[in-house]
Parts: sequence; structure tokens; C-alpha cells
Amino acid sequence: MLCHRLLVRRLAKTSYPTLSLSIATMSTTTASTRKPMPSALTFDRHAKCSTTKARASTLHLPHGSVPLPIFMPVATQASLKGLTYDQLRETGCMLCLNNTYHLGLKPGQAVLDAVGGAHKLQGWDRNLLTDSGGFQMVSLLKLATVTEEGVRFLSPHDGSPMLLTPEHSISLQNSIGSDIIMQLDDVIATTSPDHARIKEAMDRSVRWLDRCIEEHKYPERQNLFCIIQGGLDLELRKQCCEEMVARDTPGVAIGGLSGGEAKEEFCKVVHTCTEILPEHKPRYVMGVGYPEDIVVAVALGADMFDCVWPTRTARFGDAIVSSGTLKLSHKSFSDDFRPVEEGCTCICCRPTDQGGLGLTRAYMHHITAKETVGAHLLTIHNVHYMLNMMGKIRQAIIDDQYPAFLRKFFSDIYEGDKSKFPEWAVGALRGVGVDLLADS
Amino acid sequence: MFIGKFNFSWPIRTRSGRPQHGLPIIRNAMDQATSASPAMTFSVLSSTAPVLAPRVGKLAIPGRKTIATPHHVPLTSRGTVPHVAHDVMRDHTEINSLYAGLEDYHESPMKKFICVAEDMPLILGPRRFPPIPCPPANTSASIALLTSIGFTQLSAHDYVKAVQNLRPDIAVGMVDLANKQPGSKRRGKMVDRTHAWTRDALEQLYGDAVAEKDKSKSAYFAPVLPLDNAQQSLYLDDLESEFRWDISGLALYQSASLGFVPESLANLPRLLFSEPETPQAILRDISLGADLLTTPLLGASSDGGIAMGFVFPAPAPVPEGKSERLPLGIDLWTGDHTTDTSPLGEGCECYTCKNYHRAYIHHLLLAKEMTAWALLQVHNFHVMDTFFAGVRESIQRGSFEQDIQTFSRVYASSMPESSGEGPRLRGYQLPANGPNQPRRMPKVYGVLDDAIQKYAEAQSEIATPDTGASGLEEHGFAEKL
Repeated sequence: MLCHRLLVRRLAKTSYPTLSLSIATMSTTTASTRKPMPSALTFDRHAKCSTTKARASTLHLPHGSVPLPIFMPVATQASLKGLTYDQLRETGCMLCLNNTYHLGLKPGQAVLDAVGGAHKLQGWDRNLLTDSGGFQMVSLLKLATVTEEGVRFLSPHDGSPMLLTPEHSISLQNSIGSDIIMQLDDVIATTSPDHARIKEAMDRSVRWLDRCIEEHKYPERQNLFCIIQGGLDLELRKQCCEEMVARDTPGVAIGGLSGGEAKEEFCKVVHTCTEILPEHKPRYVMGVGYPEDIVVAVALGADMFDCVWPTRTARFGDAIVSSGTLKLSHKSFSDDFRPVEEGCTCICCRPTDQGGLGLTRAYMHHITAKETVGAHLLTIHNVHYMLNMMGKIRQAIIDDQYPAFLRKFFSDIYEGDKSKFPEWAVGALRGVGVDLLADS
Repeated sequence: MFIGKFNFSWPIRTRSGRPQHGLPIIRNAMDQATSASPAMTFSVLSSTAPVLAPRVGKLAIPGRKTIATPHHVPLTSRGTVPHVAHDVMRDHTEINSLYAGLEDYHESPMKKFICVAEDMPLILGPRRFPPIPCPPANTSASIALLTSIGFTQLSAHDYVKAVQNLRPDIAVGMVDLANKQPGSKRRGKMVDRTHAWTRDALEQLYGDAVAEKDKSKSAYFAPVLPLDNAQQSLYLDDLESEFRWDISGLALYQSASLGFVPESLANLPRLLFSEPETPQAILRDISLGADLLTTPLLGASSDGGIAMGFVFPAPAPVPEGKSERLPLGIDLWTGDHTTDTSPLGEGCECYTCKNYHRAYIHHLLLAKEMTAWALLQVHNFHVMDTFFAGVRESIQRGSFEQDIQTFSRVYASSMPESSGEGPRLRGYQLPANGPNQPRRMPKVYGVLDDAIQKYAEAQSEIATPDTGASGLEEHGFAEKL
């Protein structure tokens, strides 16, 4: 507490001569003076659902092509929780995440420059996406404050005040060399009651986008995505979409969601944004990863998702299956000799005569949360499950069967009991022409 | 290379068909394959003396991978080779046998349980190796275990039952070992109990009362106690006579026991449970005639962030006058690896070295990422496998003694110290509290807030930088105000 008070006093005393200047410069930035925004990706649209807003497409990035819609596993610190990159390849993953905040701390920019970027560091020859680090600053560091210059925070190590600016973030992501980089945005909780602050964050995110575009050194090989802000206020979201679309970044992210807001609100925001966003650009909904959220967001027109949940829950011994999740640490699995999911084609579940490992629930129960190998194996299963699910979603869209897919998906989870279907999903899907409760 | 004239199996033997007492056992010079189990054969391919000499052999179990000896035995924890996922083991290592302690399965049935390849030779013993000393004492009918849910006793009877049900390829007999240096009374008990347990186990597994179809197919390795020859002479006599045709190998618990192996048991494979701290110690055990050896230093090195780096025979000896010896490994925690994109071992052919580099492993260790240990295990297994292959060739060439001498001249005499922390240990991997046990955690006195803060940090998933503001600025992460 003492420390906090000191900081507030110190911050109050400090003046920022550059502040007013930079705002002045930015407000004068117009479309005509804006730096041209080359793109290092091509986005091929293959099919659009005739009922919902779901799209099937392929995103061609510098390190290979990614089928969309896609789930991206999160390899926070340049490693996916115990897996080798061949094991990750085996799951079919074409694009995974690294966190700029974490890579900035370890191994740091100098090392990344010396080694030649994050692909070389971790031996991953497919695509990488990095976030800007802003989310971690705000969510992990309690004493972070956001000013026009950037995010002010106390060094977690020695308590001295530091500043992370959009320029720092882009420079770091340039050193990382990720195929998709994210702008630094002003992230606040969507549940914040302070409307003025939400608007300020939205406006500031737009101004920071301009600074990110200005700072970005390699637009011909790294794709900068903007991040739509505006909390749960649909008007603000619309304004933000318009402002950012005008900047013509290669892709667009919808940010600030998945922060504890009601699912209905989440769906409304995605729905509103996708109405305005151009059809010919990929749309990434940040931090969303529960299978139910993903299938609904796809119906609302989103293409890309990331979340630590599937990999984190694997380390706690939870397997994702079509009927929900199995808590494999529960004693009831100790003599269950079925695979984690019958018919699953991941290397863990596939029988040995089909080149798999033929692992059983009983054995997973035996090692889960006890041996690191338990975490490795279940991480493989869960990532494979998510990617396989995305593949099925994509195929259903191409076959124009997505509404039927949605009905079966929810029926599998709730064992056919429609009264248990979540209201938010029923409502959101009704908005795009699918009635989950109707007789099929 | 281990094929040819010496490779034949002793005809399938059953207890009823064994030679009568008093009759000389028919042998000739080439008749080295004398396994008692109908399944397992052990052939000595190259040896200069029956005991106390290094030897090359072949342990063959029908339907399983053949083990060329001398060889190390990979140790498992709850059925996994620590940090090595099953597909990594299958695709990127040459692991060709596994040791498992029944201790790890006490709370659940094992069955086809650990899901390793069908052709993987599986060795079962009552306890993990190295075992954590248990405060509860062994009894005349059972030994104390430390399972993941606490201490318990495993009776000799239940162990035999487990062998019958789990059908390991090799079962290591139950042995009564003391936690500390035993006194004379304890030594007597150790011998008597082990003697009785061995007799009962053999009777229940292969005895006359057991129907032919129910006789165990597992090969039984009889324990030899880590005591003087004289103290266990009655037991050893029985191993040589009454038990001879039911045992397929010997399990030894200290290098010195290699000196007591009676000549009449010389052609049985010897599995040495020991904790050599250096490859030099492994070489010494091999030169005394060990065939299968446990090498916990392999896993300990991986956990400590050490990439092993030694070959046998050693590369050209260091020129006279130069005292600098080659290190036995490198500590990847140290800062000199931060930007080093060279492989862990120069010219190393392992999966890790072909795909990753020192800078990455260094980063993973600092970031406490599990992948670090997985990749180090793959490398260290490769180093150990190559080392043992070199040992076998050297023995066959007849240059083993000179090669050992060169090895100790060329390499440092101890493994490098690890400067970092290993993975988080679970209860069943840690010594129990009690007298003579190291504390699990240092005593914490002082300001409670500080302790709470440290605890919260330790529990948190938040990455905290281990550098100050200037360090962060140097990293380009942010700038000081």
C-alpha cells in the first residue's frame, strides 16, 4: 500500500511534455497522410453459410496456410506446455500464439534479435501470432495505469516505474517475427461501469493503432491486426469499427471480450462488429475458447479464436470430449479402460494398430496431475479435439450444413435435453436464423 | 551384431524336467544360455572370466525387444519415463526396456496399464528405484511402501499375486532392505526374510503344486542382499541348489555384491540396482560383471538442466601437461547459452539436437516450461544409449580396461553442478519427514506478510521478470521513467 501511495504521488508530480504534442499530431492524421498498409497475407473465402453469418476460408500466411475458422493454442513462453513442436504439428496446428509480454521478459529482445526471432528460437516452422502485451500488463500487474503515452507500471522486480508504449510493443513483435502481430490497445474490463473511461479507451486504442502502424517495420512480412474496443456499448463498437476499418489493417480483432461479461452481451458485440467489418478480412475474437462460445461466434461471422483453457484444463486432468469435459482425476476412471474419447483420432486415443498409443482413461487417471507426461498427453488430446472440431465446423459450412451441425453439437453436450440448452446460445443463434429448439 | 553361433536357447525347461539333485548338470563351454524361465534366455557372448569380469550378453524374451548387455535400465515413475511422453519415447528414443515399481500402482490395478508398446520388455520390482526410505519398518511378511496416497505395507503374498496378474517379463524378487546401516540382528532378519520370501515366491509361481498352465511366464530375478558373503551363505547356497532352476537372474543392491556371485550362478544375468554418480562408476560396475544397471543420474541430470556429453571410448586423450579435462555435461542454466544456437552435443544425432538448440533449452528452463525436461531426457537417453553401445563394442574388442583408463584421464571426475531448480516434486518423489531426513522446505521465520507474498508469487501463474528495471530496459521491454 505504501508503495502504491508513493507511486501515485510520484506520478502526480511528473509532467509529460510530449503528451499534448502527440495527441495534437495524431488528431491531424487523416486518411491521406496515413502510411500505406501493405499486407503479408491473402484471405480466400470458400463458402458462406446460407442461414448464419458463418464463413469457411483459408488464410495464407508467410509460414503456411491456415484453414478458417480456426482455434489457436497458446504457447505462452515459446513452448506449448511440455510438447515438442512435432507433437504440436501432429495435432494439425498451423498457427499458434506466443505472448509478447512473456517473451519480452524472457528471453528478451536482445536474445530474440541475436537468435533471429521466435520461429528460430523455438524450432517452429509454421505460423505464430503474438498479442501486444497490453492485456497482460493490465490483468497481471495491479499497479499498471494507462496514460496517453502508454501503460505505466511498476517493475515487478524492484518497484521502479516503467512505461510500455505502442512503439515498444511493435518493436518487440518485430523482433519476435510473428506472422500476425497485434496493436497495443487500451484494455479495460468490459464490465466497467465508467462509460467515459470506456469511450476514452476506445478513442485511445484508435490513436495507438496509428502509432503502431507508424512504428511497424516489416509490414511486408508481418500482418498487423487492429483491435476493436468499446466495451459492451454497441454504438462505441460501431464507431471503433469504422475508425479502424479506415486504417485498412490486414486483419481485424474484436478485443476486450471474455472478461466476465454476460454471454448475451458478448454475442451482441460480435454480431454488431461483424455486421460492419468488411467481408474480405479475417476476424479474430480474442480470448474465446470454450467450444460452445466458438460454435456460436462462428455463426456470428468470426474466424479466429484463442484461449488457454483447453491446454490449462488439460494440466488439471480435464479432457475435452464431445459430451463436454471428463474430469479424469475422478476415481471413477481408475478402472475405465476405454480411450479418452471413442473414435477420437488423436495419437493418444487412436489404438496401437492404427499407429496411436492406445492410452486408456484408467492410465490417464493414474498419471494426471502427478507426472508431467500426463499433462503432455492430455494437452495433445485437447488441442487435437479443438482443431478437429474446427475442421468439422469448416466442413459443415462448406457443405452448407452449419445449422444442423449446431443442433447436433448442443444436443450432444446436453444429451438431447433442449430445456438445458443455454439461453444465450439459443437467443444468439435465433438472431442469425437458427432455432436450436425447433424440431429437426 | 549379436547373432551367430552362441545365440541359441536352452531347451524349454519345466520344474519337473530339471536335473535330479546329485546328478552333474550337463554343460559345455558354449552352453551359456541357462535361463530357468521357459520364456527368457540370456546368452553371454563375450567374457574373460565367469565372475568379476566385464561381459557382453544378450537377453532375449520371446515377443519382446532383445536387450544387448551391459545395458542401463530406464526407470519409470507411475509407468512413465519422467517427462517423456509415450509418442516421444516411441519416435525419438531407443528405450528398449523399462523398470517399474509395484509401489506406483498400489492404489490402482496395473493390467495392460501403462500403455507401452507390446514388445517393450517390462521389469517389475516391489518398489520404485531409487526408493524413498519409509519410516514404517518392514515386517516378516511385508515391506513398507510410499505410495501417492501415503505409506502402506506390501505383503510378500500380494507381491507374488501381482506378478501373476501383471505378468511382467521379469519380476525382481522382494527383498528386505534396511534404511540405514543394519546391526547384526537386523542383518540376520534381512537374510531370513528374503530367504523365506524367495522360497515362497518360487513355490507359488513355478512350484509343483501349480498346474502347468498356471505356472508363471515371468522370469524371476532373485535378490542378493547388500551384505557380506558369510552373512547370507545359507541363502546363497539355496540359490545355487534348491532354487537354481527357478531363478532366471540375480538382482544386486551394491557393487560389492558382484564379487559374491557364485561361479555356478555366473551365467545368470545380473541386474544391479545402484546409483552411480558418474559414468566412471558405471564403468566400474560393468568391469565387475554387471549386465543391467540402473542409472538414476540420467533423470537427475535432465531434471537439473544438465545435458550429458560423454562418449565411450573417450576421444583422443588430452595431451600430457594439459590438465584441463573434458566436462561430463553442460549446465544449461548458465547465462553463456542465452544466444547459443548450437546443439547440446556437437554432432549429436538425437532428436533434440537435430531440431533445437542450447538457447531454446536455456530459455525453457528459465521460463520453467516442461518442454525443457522432455527435450533433455531425449538427449540424455541418447547419450547413455550410445555410451553403453560403445562399452559393448569395447568389451568385445578386448580393449575395455585401457578404454576405462583413457576415459578417466580425459573426462572430469564428476558431473557438473546444476545451478537451477528442477521440476516440482510430488509427495511420492520426496523423502518423508522424520529423523535423518532433509527438510522439505527451509524454515520460514520473520515477517508473515513477506512469507504470504512469496507464497502467493510461488502459486501464481504470472510470470515475474527476474531482472530489475534496468534489465527490462536493456531487454527493450519498456523504458525507465
